[in-house]
Amino acid sequence: MLDGGHGEVIAQAMDYLVQFGEAFDARCFVDVSYAHYPAEMSIYRGSCEDVIEYAETGAKVRIPTTSSTLACDLERWSEYGCPQPIHDLQAKAVEAHRKMGILGTYTCTPQLLGFVLPKGSNIISVESSAIIYFNSVLGARTNRGGLFTRYAAVTGKYPLTGYLIAANRRGTHLFTLDLEPDDLAHDSDYSALGFYIGAIVGSEVPVIDGLPMPTQDNLVALGAALATSGSVTLFHAPPHTAEANTVDDAFQGGEPKEAHTVRRGDLHAAYEKITNISDGEAIDFVTLGCPHYTLGQLRYVASWLHEHDATAHENMRFWICTNRMTKRAADFDGITAAIEAAGGFVVCDTCPVECHMRKSTCKEFGLPVPQVKAMVTDSFKMARYVGDLIGCRTAVRPREACLRAAVSGKLE
Amino acid sequence: MVRGNVEGPALVCAKAFSFLGDVDMDTGEIIAHGHEHRGKSIAGKVMIYPETKGSSGGCVVLTTLARQGRQPAAIILEKPADTNMVEGAILAGVAMVCQPEQSLIDVVPDGAAVAVDGSAGTITWRA
Repeated sequence: MLDGGHGEVIAQAMDYLVQFGEAFDARCFVDVSYAHYPAEMSIYRGSCEDVIEYAETGAKVRIPTTSSTLACDLERWSEYGCPQPIHDLQAKAVEAHRKMGILGTYTCTPQLLGFVLPKGSNIISVESSAIIYFNSVLGARTNRGGLFTRYAAVTGKYPLTGYLIAANRRGTHLFTLDLEPDDLAHDSDYSALGFYIGAIVGSEVPVIDGLPMPTQDNLVALGAALATSGSVTLFHAPPHTAEANTVDDAFQGGEPKEAHTVRRGDLHAAYEKITNISDGEAIDFVTLGCPHYTLGQLRYVASWLHEHDATAHENMRFWICTNRMTKRAADFDGITAAIEAAGGFVVCDTCPVECHMRKSTCKEFGLPVPQVKAMVTDSFKMARYVGDLIGCRTAVRPREACLRAAVSGKLE
Repeated sequence: MVRGNVEGPALVCAKAFSFLGDVDMDTGEIIAHGHEHRGKSIAGKVMIYPETKGSSGGCVVLTTLARQGRQPAAIILEKPADTNMVEGAILAGVAMVCQPEQSLIDVVPDGAAVAVDGSAGTITWRA
């Protein structure tokens, strides 16, 4: 590939990967079986233009390649005030993706769309919440991908580095849970747990001992938060994660560098730390679906709204973010209709912090900054980023409390 | 760490640097409030600083600067580089050396002519 036998584009891609491998002392290249690609977004200057130009070279991905979120909902952008230029440029990048053979999943949760990689698979992924799920829950092996995901996707190769090497997947910190079952009743409690642990371990590998049998949704929430307060790429929660049946397995027979105990008070403190809205204060934005909601979570929202004969409070932005495949299924089951009849909006491809509502994007495009005062969400990840990027106050609450806030217009 | 045989004036920063937010992506001018080199340009400089901080978007800033010829000549990091910065440096054609044998932050004077060989990992300077 490097010598140009597969064309100039592939030779260039291999040259970048070789340089990258040299920088991290890689011994050899491995085949990667899947890529989750960082979709170019129209809120970043030059980003869409770059992929449009690249697709012109005729480059095509050689392995199944899904794509991460965009700067707008491709179908319903005009319904929530997305400016046309942001959509139009984004749509051109999407054409380029198709030309390259990249699948238009546009989601942060490709692992829930059928890309359930077998344990031990070498892959390359962007999106911290997907990366940590692939590594930890499935036992596939990926580093934190960046722009070079493109070159791995078009060559099917990646230098053997980082988390692709078994020894680097050893646990470093032990977290023993001293919690009651009630303390982990909601996905947001798992989010709190991840946020607490991530802040302590930074970029290392936590081992969580004593996790009660989690659901798939619990593990998505836990991983997303670990990768928010820290840059955690892999965790072990024996026996529920792929590579460790026991704590010993997780440390590969070694000793933890540090050992911590997690108590109820730590989770409460995490909720308090991220929340800067007082009980009873007015809310004007409720966001669910960070990471993108599953069909089961959408079903819960629809059922709750129906059972409570509920309607969103006047002027409430009430977003439930998911991906198009999941929404199509939700449409088929009447779930979307039930949510939207109650004043919710089921958003695809994007989320509040990836779309035009960012302060910096508004500034760059000369748009009025959307006035958001206070957002409630069930995700520590959303809460952490929205404060800085949109500039509103935030609170994290369990899903049901978010729904009550959407109806009453107040935090409780 | 990243190829390139270059020479340029040193720009020594005592604190971690974020390409996203600390620098204007059109001009290469440092815009961070309170930064010791606020108002100076990183274009063509040999930047010496402890580590990169902030979002992985910093990689995009580096390639955007390179498109306009406003990228630094080289980056010398006291700590190990993260993968995103290395990707940005490769795409932008910026030589990079990490973890020099001795800390250079208090040794190399600002503006000194520094020669960097990214492949060999060597750094030489004269005041």
